Amino acid sequence: MRIKHMFKKTILDNRETEREISPEVPDGLMRKCNACKAAVFVDEVKHNHYICPHCGNYFHVPALKRIKMVADRNSFEEWDAHMEENNPLNYKGYEEKLQTLREKTGLDEAIITGKAKLQGMSVVLGVCDCRFMMSSMGEAVGEKIARAFERATEEKLPVILYICSGGARMQEGLVSLMQMAKTTMALRKHSDAGLLYVPVLTDPTTGGVTASFAMLGDIILAEPKALIGFAGPRVIEQTIGQKLPKGFQRAEFLLEHGFLDGIIKREDQREVLSEILRMHQGTEQGNETEKNATKESGWKEFEPSGEFSAWDHVQLARSKTRPTAKDYIQAVFDDFMEFHGDRYCGDDPAVIGGVAFFHGKPVTVLAQEKGEGTKDSIARNFGMVSPEGYWKSLRLMRQAEKFHRPVICLVDTPGAFCGIEAEERGQGEAIAQNLYTLAGLKVPVLSIVIGEGGSGGALAFAVADEVWMLEHSVYSILSPEGFASILWKDSKKAREAAEVMKLTASDLQRMGMIEHVIPEEEPVSREEMDNVTEYLEKGILEFLEQYRTVQPDKLLEKRYERFRKM
Amino acid sequence: MIGKLLIANRGEIAVRIIRACREMGIATVAVYSEADEESLHTQLADEAICIGPGPSAQSYLNMEQIISATLVSGADAIHPGFGFLSENARFAQLCEKCGITFVGPPSKVIRMLGNKQIARKTMIDAGVPVVPGSEGSVDDIESGLKEAEKIGYPVIIKAALGGGGKGMRVANTPEEFPEAYATARKESEIAFGDGTMYIEHFVVNPRHIEFQILADSQGNVIHLGERDCSIQRNHQKMIEESPSAAVSPELREKMGKAAVTAAKAAGYVNAGTIEFLLEPDGKFWFMEMNTRIQVEHPVTEWVTGIDLVKEQIKIASGYPLSIKQDDVRIMGHAIECRINAENPKKNFRPSPGVIRGAHFPGGQGIRVDTCVYNGCRIPPYYDSMLAKLIVHGDNREEAIAKMQSALGEVIIDGIDTNIDYQYEILKDQDYQSGNFDTGFLSSHTIAGVKINEN
Repeated sequence: MRIKHMFKKTILDNRETEREISPEVPDGLMRKCNACKAAVFVDEVKHNHYICPHCGNYFHVPALKRIKMVADRNSFEEWDAHMEENNPLNYKGYEEKLQTLREKTGLDEAIITGKAKLQGMSVVLGVCDCRFMMSSMGEAVGEKIARAFERATEEKLPVILYICSGGARMQEGLVSLMQMAKTTMALRKHSDAGLLYVPVLTDPTTGGVTASFAMLGDIILAEPKALIGFAGPRVIEQTIGQKLPKGFQRAEFLLEHGFLDGIIKREDQREVLSEILRMHQGTEQGNETEKNATKESGWKEFEPSGEFSAWDHVQLARSKTRPTAKDYIQAVFDDFMEFHGDRYCGDDPAVIGGVAFFHGKPVTVLAQEKGEGTKDSIARNFGMVSPEGYWKSLRLMRQAEKFHRPVICLVDTPGAFCGIEAEERGQGEAIAQNLYTLAGLKVPVLSIVIGEGGSGGALAFAVADEVWMLEHSVYSILSPEGFASILWKDSKKAREAAEVMKLTASDLQRMGMIEHVIPEEEPVSREEMDNVTEYLEKGILEFLEQYRTVQPDKLLEKRYERFRKM
Repeated sequence: MIGKLLIANRGEIAVRIIRACREMGIATVAVYSEADEESLHTQLADEAICIGPGPSAQSYLNMEQIISATLVSGADAIHPGFGFLSENARFAQLCEKCGITFVGPPSKVIRMLGNKQIARKTMIDAGVPVVPGSEGSVDDIESGLKEAEKIGYPVIIKAALGGGGKGMRVANTPEEFPEAYATARKESEIAFGDGTMYIEHFVVNPRHIEFQILADSQGNVIHLGERDCSIQRNHQKMIEESPSAAVSPELREKMGKAAVTAAKAAGYVNAGTIEFLLEPDGKFWFMEMNTRIQVEHPVTEWVTGIDLVKEQIKIASGYPLSIKQDDVRIMGHAIECRINAENPKKNFRPSPGVIRGAHFPGGQGIRVDTCVYNGCRIPPYYDSMLAKLIVHGDNREEAIAKMQSALGEVIIDGIDTNIDYQYEILKDQDYQSGNFDTGFLSSHTIAGVKINEN
């Protein structure tokens, strides 16, 4: 039965005489979301981290609110308020414009800086506010940032900057451009003092700010979908006469292209930033005195768990049930935080790098990851590392050195990626740079071969103070198939090749190439890996205790000797 | 008087409110989801505005859309019905801010009564009997045992953040207490990440007796007698009646007074319901106050002759009550059965779909509140209630006989319903003799189905 338009209506609007005031939405109660166009309650948005409850769009956050969202309650102490303002070009109407904005926003300038606490940890915090001339960088902004870095250097404090900016402030001409250099110089001193700087890029971060302090963090974070770029998208479109692809210059695009360590949702930012600060607490070079290595070593002489041919070892090392790097990271370390990007062109999923806690102390973990299951394995290129992966590891090694963190490398790769793009970007050069950097890296480095140690691709993660292997891992000049093919012109003779190559852990230990073999009572699998991880944990603890206190020059001398004799 | 009313609801209650408005000469605006374009309320109202896709969160719970629809249509008031936004203090507050009359109590009253601890304290202060319980949280077994002794066994240990039966345990004796406490607390810590516990006296199989009250903005409060809603499945009411077979005129007066005191203590305005637990010996305890029109309001309407929805609209328009407590007479007996699109044999699984044809009974003393018509579609997004069948007789026996006859006449073709299940309840000896409490459905096998209380 259809009932549409069938019922008789009874409209008897009796209000004509009675109605005095009609309902209306008072000012400031509702606004329109600029992304989904839905009406939203301003109150609700404010209580929801300035996020649209319908589409998840991020609204711009006023600086003071941002401080409230991030810092411990009432912990913020502002620095350099009421900075004197100049009009270097005598640009007409500039002073009046600043005055109007001051009245409208209640801000002095486009950035607020000061000192705050985050979960009890002191930090210098700066927050840009895009309501103030799109948070463009004039002299006052540059000055406040420079002073914040200078004072942070003096007080030995980390810096967190919440950044957004349209770029340079045109009204101030070249003086504005010079702020890029000024801020960078102050930041550089802070960094040279071994101090941490974390920029959080919010929508939009563009122009001269991107080309200076925004991109110079030890760890660079961004908000989802934030526009980040040097030239603005409209300018690019007009210049090249092309339409830009969807998502171009958004945070996700930058992450994929290697410029961000991570994209963090607003509701998680306080927690993540606190965690990062915690990782960098008290990382100044230890005053611990060198301990005598007299402590009894926990290592026992390795005894093979059974009769295995070299080819058996190769098969076990390649087995799909064998745990991959991320399984070990999860089992052995605490609170691992992954950092992304090479800062040049990409983020190679074949390398996982980041910082974790090991027995309460931060370590840098660099791992080659083969992936689990077909989809993940394809995404990670089966652990075959590209130049971007080596560059990322290189960046994180240097970061470890800056913050005096030991480096633990997990090696598991069939070999460096063999492909056109890899060669175009200089695969050989990338590996060489890793060897070079590790040769002089002033922190302890431990490498553990957990599966396949494929050639130069593996060595790029294994110029270390000690190299260990799991019982059923292999480490070789190249794959047995490749060996057979080069020497015997027959890749089918891989089995025989494996036997002559001396690629097993016990062979290599006998040859003095590696220090220790981690026994596998049963071939290790994702389900059954406790024995191995317990062994690893004990071993790593002993390694760190032994090496942490060694002076850098002695450490490097020892590392030099290790390879010199090979 | 309100000139144009927007009904922020759907289904039979929206139809019920529209009908009251039609009789009062008030123009109506329906709001509907994309799934409800051909629903009865959408078509019956003078105007209808689509407020979003089927899922409630995007339509009937979407405050922005509903407020916008109100302003666009020029309505000056919103009736929230029951469920959805009816007891949402924020929504009521938004209406207040926008100068829209909310047909219900002020937002601050909704907020206060929605907070169990504050509501409890308000009632204790006003002298309304509240289930005895610990004043603050109970942090360990030793202090719990002391509290339990004071309160009297059996006691129920409840998580402060509890819900859905989790973090709740009954201890009948001091011997049972330590384990019950430990289990409830552990559950709460796992489920809610919080181990704050309270204990209360546990009322074993009480009757659920609620009092309808009306309060105007001039401070007049009256009650319209009780409803017995003890026939429930997991706290879902199935059959309600007024008066209750367990409430004598003396008890009615006593409980009614308590209900009026409670409403006054809360600063209540408009129609509301005070829920009590009634023990066999006549002891009763305040449980909570519902700040909306209830599903089962028709039984009260029938025994008192008062149209509750019209009263709500008048109160919201600022009119004082036209009835005094002494004018209220309980006449005869009314029973309501909820007819739901659900299959009792499949654990009451909802049964949405198209109703090919429907036949409802009629005649003297029979009322059907429904949104069902031949060929209508029951969307999967909402509550499964299709219709309320209400009967009125001179006494309980006559009402039961009438309900049996009427239920036996209902045909709903195309989807599963609980009609047969309801019919069997009506035939049960214990039900007929008025000998039941909230444990009825879990202690009786009805139409081959026994409810497992969890």
